Amino acid sequence: MAKVFIKGNEAVVKGALLAGCKAYYGYPITPASEIAEGAALYFQPAGSTFLQAESEIGAINMVYGAASVGIRVMTASSSPGISLKMEGISYAAGSELPCVIVDISRGGPGLGNIAPEQGDYNQIVKGGGHGNYQLIVLAPNCAQEMCDLTMLAFELADKYRNPVVVLADGFIGQMMEPVEFPEPVTEFPAKPWAAGGTPETYKNLITSIDLDPDDLERHINHLYAKYAEVEANEIRYEEYHSEDADLVCVAFGVVSRILQSAIDMARAEGKKVGMLRPITLWPFPEKKLSELAAQGKQFLVVELNKGQMVHDVRLAVKHSVPVGSYGRVGGNVPTLKELYEQILVHLEGV
Amino acid sequence: MNSPNMYKSAVKPTWCAGCGDYAVLSATLRAFAEMGWANEEIVAVSGIGCSSRFPFFLKTYGFHSIHGRALPVATGIKTARPELNVVAFGGDGDGFAIGAGHFVHTARRNVDLTYIVMDNHIYGLTKGQTSPTSGLHFKTKSSPYGNVEFAIHPLVAALSSGATYVARGLSSDPKTLKELFLGAMQHRGFAMVDVLSPCVTYNKVDTFKTFRDRSKPLPEDHDVTDLIGALSMAMDDTVMHTGVFYRAEKPVLGDHLEALKSKDGREWEEIIEGILRGMT
Repeated sequence: MAKVFIKGNEAVVKGALLAGCKAYYGYPITPASEIAEGAALYFQPAGSTFLQAESEIGAINMVYGAASVGIRVMTASSSPGISLKMEGISYAAGSELPCVIVDISRGGPGLGNIAPEQGDYNQIVKGGGHGNYQLIVLAPNCAQEMCDLTMLAFELADKYRNPVVVLADGFIGQMMEPVEFPEPVTEFPAKPWAAGGTPETYKNLITSIDLDPDDLERHINHLYAKYAEVEANEIRYEEYHSEDADLVCVAFGVVSRILQSAIDMARAEGKKVGMLRPITLWPFPEKKLSELAAQGKQFLVVELNKGQMVHDVRLAVKHSVPVGSYGRVGGNVPTLKELYEQILVHLEGV
Repeated sequence: MNSPNMYKSAVKPTWCAGCGDYAVLSATLRAFAEMGWANEEIVAVSGIGCSSRFPFFLKTYGFHSIHGRALPVATGIKTARPELNVVAFGGDGDGFAIGAGHFVHTARRNVDLTYIVMDNHIYGLTKGQTSPTSGLHFKTKSSPYGNVEFAIHPLVAALSSGATYVARGLSSDPKTLKELFLGAMQHRGFAMVDVLSPCVTYNKVDTFKTFRDRSKPLPEDHDVTDLIGALSMAMDDTVMHTGVFYRAEKPVLGDHLEALKSKDGREWEEIIEGILRGMT
């Protein structure tokens, strides 16, 4: 099919339909509202359900209910709304319910503002809700990936019976770009654990409660065995001139787009700079980073926050090489010139 | 007719001896039996609290969900799989405090499900704190000098929010209770039954006896189609009326959702193809 010029947020909705998403439950919030509006416009005619919930909490719990009966289901919001969903996300992870949550992150803390930020890295990647669980986190950097990674999110959610978050910043959500749509998914995995309404799918109880400490420990260990499998199979990243680079920039989302141009500028002057862009923020490409560090490369992590992912990079390289950090917040996005200069500053130390 | 026992799980209820909720359980089992539903056609959803242990004791699909969130979970289930019979269970704390926001909106949407509330005017599972239906000056561990708040009127909230079947029953009258549940399950729309179901351990004020003394069946000539009449009966603070306050036939959420689906005979792939290009 020919390419269509659309917003990242709209690409999410269309990707979801292509992935066979049967229900969307959401609540309005800027800069994620186009996802709810798109779902409202397109889901119902396609035979899927759209419902505007009374709150973010209502929405995530409707997702919980719909996931329990075995359909593909999603919600989307932006940072403060995601904070509200955290309770339900923890329960869904505990009950092993597959669902997709899209976070078009904005400025915080508190009400913050509606400009792009990546301050949600910690709340999404490190948990956010209570208890021992892990979310699979995908970080698109263009409208095409908003579609593709939303589709992948549904696949991974079903495969591992776990909530999957598509974490994008306001820029990626709002930016318009050409998107080429993949073929729709027509085959879906069986879900014998779900409430299918038939004697064959009969299961007495879906719950996250285990009052006996040994039972709960066994359950959590089971979750973590599953997470180990995700770590072994699902790490995704993109490299850009990293092979011969002395300085490897690490970034996700919109920052990676600007960095790419800054790297091109530096390369034009013979400077050996490259980039590693994690596509899965969890599982994190730790091994790849430690391999690059073993080759003596240094790192510069650029984020739209005060330095959140940088800690994971430092852990991955075990502090064996310098890992610099540069961040802008409040909705400010670094310019090409700004990042080019940052590259030069950090190259001096190499 | 089906036997009530076929809906009973092997899990023994964890409620205290003498708890009002036993009568709710037995009335529920009997109502299921009269409905003639197969086990796998029923979904029991609950939040958190003593009464929210309910799904453990039923041999149906069970969802023990999140405190206050039974109704949005139930809405998700019903909209995703309308053919299932969804019954939500909970208490006054779960439904009218933390879950109050969800309660009014589920009523407003007229989601086709039954909501059974075991209303004991106290938080039991957390061992005795004031609830939104506790009376003024009521002393609990969280109101040692007496409750400083007025109680909510759950039935008024349900009626004013758009619930289409609203009833109140007593744990001490299981026969009527079963009839109220049966009516709720047969009703197409959001059906709420508030059951005065005493906590024998932490509430020594609202007991089987005081609930019985303070309540009275609705007058025989009460018109269940009269919303204003139902509201005034529910507002009556001098006596807690029991029975069916209100019943109305109205389209349910599922009817509205279904009506929005494409009915022009196009294949899904064809519809999707159009959508990708921005058309519906």
